[in-house]
Amino acid sequence: MSVIGADAPRVDGPAKVTGAAQYTADIVLPGMLHAKVLRSTMPHARLVRIDASAAERELGVVTITRDDLTGMDPYYGPVVKDQPIVGIDRVLFAGDVIAVVAAEARDIAEEALDLIEVEYEPLPVVTDSDAAMAEGAPVLHAARRTPQVTFPDMKSVHFQTDSNVCSVYHVERGDVEAGFADADELFEDVYSVPTIQHGHIEPHASIAYWEPSGKLVVHTSTQNPSVIRTQLADLFGLPETSVRVIVPYVGGGYGAKTYPKLEPIVAALSRKARRPVSLVISREEVFMTAVRHAASVRIKTGVRCDGTLVARRVVATYDTGAYADIGPRTAKNGGYSAGGPYRIEHQDLTSYCVYTNKPPAGAFRGFGVPQVCWAYESQMDDIARRLGMDPVELRKRNLIQENDLFVTGDRLVSVGLDKCLDQVVEAIGWRGIESTRPIETDRPGFVRGLGLAVMIKSTMTPSNSAASVRLNADGSATLLTSSVEIGQGSHTGLAQIVAEAIGLPLDRVSVTFPDTDFTPYDQSTSSSRTIFSMGHAARQAGIQIRDQLLEIASGRFEAAVEDLEIVDGSIRVKGVPAQSLTIPQVFTTHFGAAVGSLFGAFDYQTTGGLDPDTGMGKASAFWFLSAAGAEVEVDTRTGKIRVLRAVTSVDVGKAINPRQCWLQNEGSMLTALGSALFEEMLFDNGQPVNASFLDYMLPSMEDFPDTFRSMLVETPHPEGPYGAKGMGEAGLGPVAPAIGNAVANALGGVRLRDLPLRPERVLDALTKEGLQ
Amino acid sequence: MSADVSVQIRFDVNGTGQDLRVDPERRLVDLLREDLDMTGTKESCAVGVCGACSVLVDGELLSACLIPAVMVDGRSITTIEGIAGPNGELSAMQEAFIVEGGLQCGACTPGQVVAATALLREQPDPSDAEIRDWMAGNLCRCTGYAGIIRAIRSAAAPG
Repeated sequence: MSVIGADAPRVDGPAKVTGAAQYTADIVLPGMLHAKVLRSTMPHARLVRIDASAAERELGVVTITRDDLTGMDPYYGPVVKDQPIVGIDRVLFAGDVIAVVAAEARDIAEEALDLIEVEYEPLPVVTDSDAAMAEGAPVLHAARRTPQVTFPDMKSVHFQTDSNVCSVYHVERGDVEAGFADADELFEDVYSVPTIQHGHIEPHASIAYWEPSGKLVVHTSTQNPSVIRTQLADLFGLPETSVRVIVPYVGGGYGAKTYPKLEPIVAALSRKARRPVSLVISREEVFMTAVRHAASVRIKTGVRCDGTLVARRVVATYDTGAYADIGPRTAKNGGYSAGGPYRIEHQDLTSYCVYTNKPPAGAFRGFGVPQVCWAYESQMDDIARRLGMDPVELRKRNLIQENDLFVTGDRLVSVGLDKCLDQVVEAIGWRGIESTRPIETDRPGFVRGLGLAVMIKSTMTPSNSAASVRLNADGSATLLTSSVEIGQGSHTGLAQIVAEAIGLPLDRVSVTFPDTDFTPYDQSTSSSRTIFSMGHAARQAGIQIRDQLLEIASGRFEAAVEDLEIVDGSIRVKGVPAQSLTIPQVFTTHFGAAVGSLFGAFDYQTTGGLDPDTGMGKASAFWFLSAAGAEVEVDTRTGKIRVLRAVTSVDVGKAINPRQCWLQNEGSMLTALGSALFEEMLFDNGQPVNASFLDYMLPSMEDFPDTFRSMLVETPHPEGPYGAKGMGEAGLGPVAPAIGNAVANALGGVRLRDLPLRPERVLDALTKEGLQ
Repeated sequence: MSADVSVQIRFDVNGTGQDLRVDPERRLVDLLREDLDMTGTKESCAVGVCGACSVLVDGELLSACLIPAVMVDGRSITTIEGIAGPNGELSAMQEAFIVEGGLQCGACTPGQVVAATALLREQPDPSDAEIRDWMAGNLCRCTGYAGIIRAIRSAAAPG
């Protein structure tokens, strides 16, 4: 039986349920020091004076301030070099790094922070993108320096200078004004999504030391070891072979652990200390290290009476905080996705990535798409309501289909969105237009409603993944990969692909942890790209080994390669099971004894990219599509919403491990529920006010809906390994608008356009409509 | 240098006696992770709301980030390292977490397993409401809780 499509149990289960799985914060190296970070108390200020001499003198600690970074370019960033290792001339958000300390013990490091003197000169603060884009706003970064090594897809982004607009992406098709003129009805609304935090349970953690040879070694909780190596090599002027990045188990990331976070700090500290330095940050600091972009989305849509979407203009503004991180790509992806998974003849889509005095926003599961999906799917239901149509029928009339052209010009393949929507309609019990009416309950003041939504998302393109597979003489194989086991099950799914490609039993394949001294380049464990891209590379590397085994066996059997097969680790003549060789026998045939190794290696680059002037080209190697449905109950006296049922359906191409696919989306669904109902980072003039798990609530088991279903659709992708494509983020985007639409239907069409759907917002909306 | 204010304590961890000097301000989570090298207990929120550092102290479910280490003097502690059998055989709850998809990244998993084990000791056949109520103090961002609920139901089921 094929191992592809099998619900293989995850290989890391026993290590994780016993507490034996090792994470970065669990590692102790001989002589290791512990680091702490002195962070800015001001959201924007000039650093007049920093004096760490008392800390060094009185406590014997090692400190890094700007004075230690003379003679090097201290700025880093994956697409814009704008973030210094420690504050140089200014701090740009409350929580920005001013100095770092390493000491024998954490409490000594903590004590040392108090001895560092900082004199600030406050500067004017901008805390939202509208204010940052306004005339006369203080400009946070005047220039846009790009790093020596960046990503091919960044060519399609227009970097701006001399304003807080870091970058702009624009694409258009048809003539949007003519489209509006041609429409029977126009809808124009502004939606907003606040800053939220990833909430990975393992805080960021990194350890670094320098070998006497001058080689930098880093153990770190990251999603992209290869990029960390590149960025550290750039910062410290080293060849990439002199930077070794090792990644143990990673305790969740959801995007927050992409690109450098603590690695530059521990590298600088350990260089000065000449000892290993570990930095594990607090939960409060995690809120200052990476967040999801707040966004405002202005969306105008022209529709014909029959429900045909004719024209859409979207301007989406993403608040990227104090440093660009990967914000320019996030905004670009949100920009071209803002039309939604619909055939719309005339489109004009623009997105801005804007600096503000807030923590840096970067990748977050969904990558810019949940923000625009909230807007276009909420508006879709308003359109249906005004036209008197069933929202499902309205969507189906306009949904993209196989071989359609996306707004960027991509020819869409593997499009199973109709089926996703059908599954959701059935699972949620949608019964046409009558399902848009409030459902009365027997409890006074409580009403219920159903809602649904759909989504389309891309993956970073072009991008590279390289895999190396080594077959041992005993018939066991190792996949060397820099893909990170971050909980998604890559160690299991990639092993399934290699087992299938060679023809081995699954338990004979193991997958390494990333160690850039041994494992080849992988762009990132993000963008739901691991199974598609690394899986493709791993499969090809496995096929190379398979071909070598068959070649050797064909000589031994004196049979053509085409007449041979490998099943469960034995090489045999098709139809003649008696004529078979074990892998040790094949090695003995080749090497004279059961010794040695066979190798396979493959670097897979997805092709594509967008023209910087037109925004057109091939945006994505594959597209993922999903639908969600929800039933909510609203207490109209308190405004409190409870999600009773949540369902999603995701087109996965081909599920390598179906169970792991739907399990992964169960997590996306509950994160989306939190973002819909209550998650929001709050700031008071730039000061974070709820940066702890006491004040910023993640969904707990108490928020878990009564019914919860994560379903799959399979529309094989021609380039994916065995037809597989990415799916890890697909369950997130449509859930919040499905909940919003359910609330609107419960309330007879009252629309809330700002997330989260806090009780007071529900009450305000009801009051405004005269319903309360 | 300030005077040595450390305190001698004796306690039992997973069936093994310990005899240590600890600073009165030292937290149990640090004692376990750093002095005893039991890194299965994780620290995440440090304010007692996420449950990643869940341990049993004389059978009671507590957050090791909130407890001063001196308070365990004379007591008996069970950590995640003490949940499996003496020869490393997984408990029914641990097996259920794997089979039912109760874990992904694994960072919250030790705390979830300890809390769920305590629940079944308290209430061998919990209702859904009891599961939610008991487990609400153990946050997970990967699974959406569905797999954890399935695991607890499955481990509780007779046979």
